[in-house]
Amino acid sequence: MIQIEDLRFRYPGAGRDAIGGLSLRIREGSLFGLLGPNGSGKTTLISILTGLLSAASGRVLVDGKALPARAREVQAFCALVPQEYAFYPRLNVIENLRFFAGALGIPVTAVKARVEEALGVAGLDAFQTTRAAHLSGGLKRRLNLAIGLLNRPRLLFLDEPTVGIDPQSRRFILEAIKRINQHGTTVVYTSHYMDEVELLCDEIGVLDSGRLLAQGTLEQLLQGDSGHSLIVSLSAAPSLPQQAHLSEISGLETDQNRLRIESCTDAQLKQLVALLAGEKLGIARMQYGYGNLEELFLHLTGRQLRD
Amino acid sequence: MPVFALIGKEWKLLLRDWHALLLLFAMPAVFILVMSLALQDQFAAHQRVNIHYYLVDEDQSAVSRALVQQLDDMKDFSALPSGAPVAKLLDLVRNDRTQFLVRIPAGFGKAMLTARPSQLEMRAGPGVEPAMYELFAAALRSALAHVYLRQLMAPLDTQPPVAGSVPAEASGLSVADKLLNAQSLYQAGSENQRPSSVQQNVPAWLLFAMFFIAIPLSTTWVQERQQGTYARLRSMGVRPGDLLLGKLLPYLGINLLQVALMLAIGVFVVPLLGGGRLALGHSPLALCLMALAVSFASVAYALLIANMVTTSEQATIFTGVANLLMAAIGGIMVPRFLMPAAMQTLSQYSPMAWGLEGFLDVFLRQGGLGEVVPEAARLFGFGLICLLVAGILLGARQRK
Repeated sequence: MIQIEDLRFRYPGAGRDAIGGLSLRIREGSLFGLLGPNGSGKTTLISILTGLLSAASGRVLVDGKALPARAREVQAFCALVPQEYAFYPRLNVIENLRFFAGALGIPVTAVKARVEEALGVAGLDAFQTTRAAHLSGGLKRRLNLAIGLLNRPRLLFLDEPTVGIDPQSRRFILEAIKRINQHGTTVVYTSHYMDEVELLCDEIGVLDSGRLLAQGTLEQLLQGDSGHSLIVSLSAAPSLPQQAHLSEISGLETDQNRLRIESCTDAQLKQLVALLAGEKLGIARMQYGYGNLEELFLHLTGRQLRD
Repeated sequence: MPVFALIGKEWKLLLRDWHALLLLFAMPAVFILVMSLALQDQFAAHQRVNIHYYLVDEDQSAVSRALVQQLDDMKDFSALPSGAPVAKLLDLVRNDRTQFLVRIPAGFGKAMLTARPSQLEMRAGPGVEPAMYELFAAALRSALAHVYLRQLMAPLDTQPPVAGSVPAEASGLSVADKLLNAQSLYQAGSENQRPSSVQQNVPAWLLFAMFFIAIPLSTTWVQERQQGTYARLRSMGVRPGDLLLGKLLPYLGINLLQVALMLAIGVFVVPLLGGGRLALGHSPLALCLMALAVSFASVAYALLIANMVTTSEQATIFTGVANLLMAAIGGIMVPRFLMPAAMQTLSQYSPMAWGLEGFLDVFLRQGGLGEVVPEAARLFGFGLICLLVAGILLGARQRK
C-alpha cells in the first residue's frame, strides 16, 4: 500500500532534516504501528503521506500513486485522524459529521448512511445532538475517529488516537480500530502507549531522527539479533567458592546476587544455567532478550530525554 | 503571596506575545500621529479653518466689488479661483469637492436699495455640516449688512456702524436676510431641504461598522487553524480557495444584513426617537452595489488579517487599531476637507474613503450607478488584492 524510498524533508529554516533518507514499506491490509520519540518525524511522515507536505526528494507511492503529484487521488481514499480534536466545538456531533461529509464531497444522498455508519462504529448514536464542546474526552476522541471514517477510507492514519482518555474509552477505540482493519482498511497507527501497539499492530516500525531504526512483526523485533544481554537475580548472594566457579564464565559480571552478561550467546546461557543448577543457586528472576516493546524501543532510541 | 506569582506570570506571557504587544503600543502611537496630523489645521492657533468657496461676481459693480472685498476679509474662509462656468462649479460643490458657491447675480448692486432687491446666492455641498452651513451663512449676512448700510449711508458720506453695536433692525442684518438666498444642494425631496445629521452621519458609521467584521472572522479563522481543523480539511482535499470562499460568502451575507439593519434603524427607529428620517437616495441599485463592494472589501480584508496573524489576540488588536487608522485617514472621524492637503492626498488611498464617497454619493448627492461605479470598482479591486495575498499567505503557511 505504501512504498517510501530515500525520503528527505526539511522544514523551511530548520537546521536539520525532519526526515532523512527514510525507506519503508507498509503492506495493504496491515495494521502498522509507527513508533518514535517526540520529534522523531512521525507526524511529518504522516503529513507527507496525506499530501499536506511535499517531500524535497525521494519516492513516495501510495497504492501505486506518486506523491505529491497525485495527492488528490490519494486523499480520496485515505483519512487522517489527527491528535488534536479537529472538529467544531460549537456544532453538535451530527452537525460535525454532516459538515465533514459535505467537505469530503460525499453525495447528499449518501451522507445520511455514511454518518449513521460512522456514528455506529464510534458508538456515538446516543450523543448525536450533544454539542461537541460538551462531550467527555473519550467521546471527543470517538468523534475525531468517526469523522475519519466518513469517506470509508482504504488507508487510515491515526495519530495518537487514545491520548488522555479513560481505560474504557481506550479499549473501545482500540477494538473499533481492530474491526476497521479487519474489514480491509490499512491502518497506520502512531502511539506512545507501547502496550497498545503490542496488542493491536501486526507490524511495527521504529522511527528516530527521521530514520527507520527497525521494522518487522512484534516477534521479529523482540527476537532481534543473537547478542541479547542476560540479567539474572539470584535468590541469595553466592558464597566465595561459588563466585570463583561463576567467574569461569567469560563476560559474566557479578554484583552481590545480580549477574549480568552483555551480548550473551546461547552457549554462555546454557553454561550459566548448568552452573547455577550445579551450585544449587536459586533463580529469583531472569531476563534474556527484550521483555517487551518498551525495552526494545528504549534500546533502539536510547534512554536520553528528548526535546 | 499567590498574587505575586500571578502578576509575574502575566508579565511573562505579555512579554512573550511580542506581536500583540507591538500592536498594542505601536498602532495607537500611529493612530495618535494620524489624528493629530488630520486635525492639525483645526487646532493650530494661528491658522485659519480651511474652508474654501467659489465666488462668482456676475454683477461687476461697485457694490459687488465692495461685497467681494468684505468676503475677502473673512478670516476663516477663502475664495478659490472660479473661472469655470457656474454649472461646472455647482457640480463641484454638489460633489462636495468644495463646500460653497457664492454667486452675485447681475444687477445685484443696482437693485440693492430697491423694493425688490436681487439675492446673493449661497449654495452648500450636501456634506457640509449644519454648524459650518450656519457659520458661512452668518458671515455672508454680516458682509451683506455692512455693504447695505454703506450703500444706504453713502449720500450722507458716513461710515457704517460696526455690526453688533446697534440693534439688528438698524444694522441691516434683517435686510441681509432678504438679500441672501442660501440653499443646500442636497436634493432628497422638496427644494431647499438640508440634509439631517442622520443623513450625513449614517454612511460614515455604517462603513466603520462594516469593517469590524474582521474581528469575528479573523479570530474564528485563527481558532480553526489552531484546533487542527484546517489541516484535517486539507487532508480531505479541500483547496485553500474553497477555505477562503467558505468564509467569504457567509460573512458577506452577515455584512449585508448588518447594512440592512443599520439602514432600517435610520429609516424607522431614529424618527421614532425624534431624529431625522434617513432617506435612502434615488438609486436602490447604486446602494446595493456600494453595500456589496464595501462588504466584499471588508470581508476580504478580514481574511487577509486572519492569514497574517498567529493568535486571536493579535487579530483583535490589529483589526481594532487598523480600522481606527483607516477611519481616521478615510474621513470617517474628521471630514476630509478639514484635513491638511497632504492628509487629503493620503486619504485618497484609504478604502474607507472610497466607501464613504460612494455612500455619500447615494445618500447625500442622489447619485446613481454611474456615480458609484468608480468607488465600487476600487473597493472590489482592493478586495481582490486582499484575497490574493491571503491565498498566498495561506499557501505559505501550509508548507511550514
